[in-house]
Amino acid sequence: MYIPSYYEFCCKVKTVAGHGTLERIPGLLEAMGARNPMIITDKGVSQAGLATIVINAIEDKISIGSVEDDVPPDSDLKVVNHIASIYKKKACDSIIAVGGGSVLDTAKGVNIVVSEDADDLMQFTGAGALKRELKPLIAVPTTAGTGSEVTLVAVIADHDNNRKMLFTSYFLLPDAAIIDPRMTLTLPVHIAAPTAMDAMTHAIEAYICLSKNPLSDAHALEAIEMISNNIMAVMEAPDDGDARLALGTAATLAGIAFSNSMVGMIHTLGHSVGSVCHVPHGTCMSILLPYGLEYNMHKVGDRIAELLFPLAGAKVYATTPRQERAQKCVQYTRDMNQKLYEATNGIHARNLKEITDRDQNPMVPQSKLPEIARTALGDGSIFYNPEALEYDDCLMVLTAAWQGEKLDQSKVRKG
Amino acid sequence: MEHFVEIKPGRKLLKRIFLSINLWFVGKAIQAAAKVDDEVKQEFDALPDGFTFSLGAFPNGPYMVVGKNEKGVVKYMGSKIDTVRLDMKMSLKSIECLFLLFTFQESTPVANSMDRLYVDGDIPHACSIVRIMDIVQVYLLPKFIAKLAIKRYPKWSLKRHTWNRLMVNLRAIAGF
Repeated sequence: MYIPSYYEFCCKVKTVAGHGTLERIPGLLEAMGARNPMIITDKGVSQAGLATIVINAIEDKISIGSVEDDVPPDSDLKVVNHIASIYKKKACDSIIAVGGGSVLDTAKGVNIVVSEDADDLMQFTGAGALKRELKPLIAVPTTAGTGSEVTLVAVIADHDNNRKMLFTSYFLLPDAAIIDPRMTLTLPVHIAAPTAMDAMTHAIEAYICLSKNPLSDAHALEAIEMISNNIMAVMEAPDDGDARLALGTAATLAGIAFSNSMVGMIHTLGHSVGSVCHVPHGTCMSILLPYGLEYNMHKVGDRIAELLFPLAGAKVYATTPRQERAQKCVQYTRDMNQKLYEATNGIHARNLKEITDRDQNPMVPQSKLPEIARTALGDGSIFYNPEALEYDDCLMVLTAAWQGEKLDQSKVRKG
Repeated sequence: MEHFVEIKPGRKLLKRIFLSINLWFVGKAIQAAAKVDDEVKQEFDALPDGFTFSLGAFPNGPYMVVGKNEKGVVKYMGSKIDTVRLDMKMSLKSIECLFLLFTFQESTPVANSMDRLYVDGDIPHACSIVRIMDIVQVYLLPKFIAKLAIKRYPKWSLKRHTWNRLMVNLRAIAGF
């Protein structure tokens, strides 16, 4: 057990998880003194009927001030300011965010503007800009992966100036997260697979990276075990509500873990693949997970070895010699990707060159790898990776991940 | 600030003097490395002209300020953060945290991972500055100390280890 000489841990989000928990939203809002919530969601969630499920679950107990589903896939400054103006016009007093990361980021941005009675989110950039509690915000995640329902960050894009702004404050933590399997029950398995692996990556990086601490470790280990035990159950029976609930709970656990210990190079590279080639985040995480473990093996092999227990179970852990556990852990993550590939009829990509768009065009041409490597050097998660990461290192890992070959660990420069 | 009252620490005169001298010299060395070292030059080239950043201890220093002017020339700009427009502010949580860092009891990555280092500004720019400071530390410190300060000690050419190191140190002392 690693105990740092100093660490911080905070998660004050009330988590309400289980079957039928959407119906608890009116009571939660009432306890916070709110009576006229705005629902913020996106078109995809609306069209999938998920916003309707939420509305049907709460509308007989509370009046809904407004439903806004104009959130783009990449949260946008203008959209935030626009929705904030509607919030004020409709005299709303709280927010229910129904969706994934961009919906929640948008909701957090709107909450800043309306709580501070401002017109423009830009007034609140920078550390320490928020100094008081915001309006009540309830997060209802519709995927089991991002964990953004328990994170203190909002990323809002300013498309006019071609930049992304990061807002970080404990005041941005939602007041409650609702984990109801009805929200993920209709999620197709080819999306459920990478989102679950996204949560798995959050938990694994939380456990092996520099900011780990005993409290984040506890959340991470539980998340890994829950995902490992339930991911294939969801693949085999997508309408298994209990398995969906387990994945949703695990994603929240992983979110708590990584928001208190940060993530490392898997996210460094994954963010950059996503940014340069517009690949879904979970897909990048699934593919890069074994490579991140291999790259850091010489620095944190003991931590990686410990992960074999929650990943593969007591029997495999006990029958694997101590010195082989870390490598077995890496192999286990590769085997998971292979099983997911088979369960999704080949849609779940195992390497970067297998990723295709809807028209079956490759999304990550090999010629883009240098640009991805350069972009990675500007990602903040690079600070938290156990081993240093420079341009050549990024390119080496990306090349192996593109080809789908194991990383040659003898080529890793060791610090 | 009506909700939070910042408590200013005691003077800690000796630590303040020690850190002020260190920050002054590191600032001068960054200015020198930007002229001597190709990698540092490239990092600064990628930053916008007029970019200015500070490093110091929250809440009341000491600090160092380094900036790149409109012609792309990198300059140490002194120790006052009130008189310049900063694009990025890197602050250690307290003067004690800065002392841990500058006495190599704690590396930059460890300080960051223990929530002691705050960055107010664009993260990609912060990544560049951390890489620049890592290189400057390799120039200024003997290997056995530099290894405590950075994640991986670099494999440099003989010229970079000797001539460039000499030039960075001489320029930092001479201030040009």
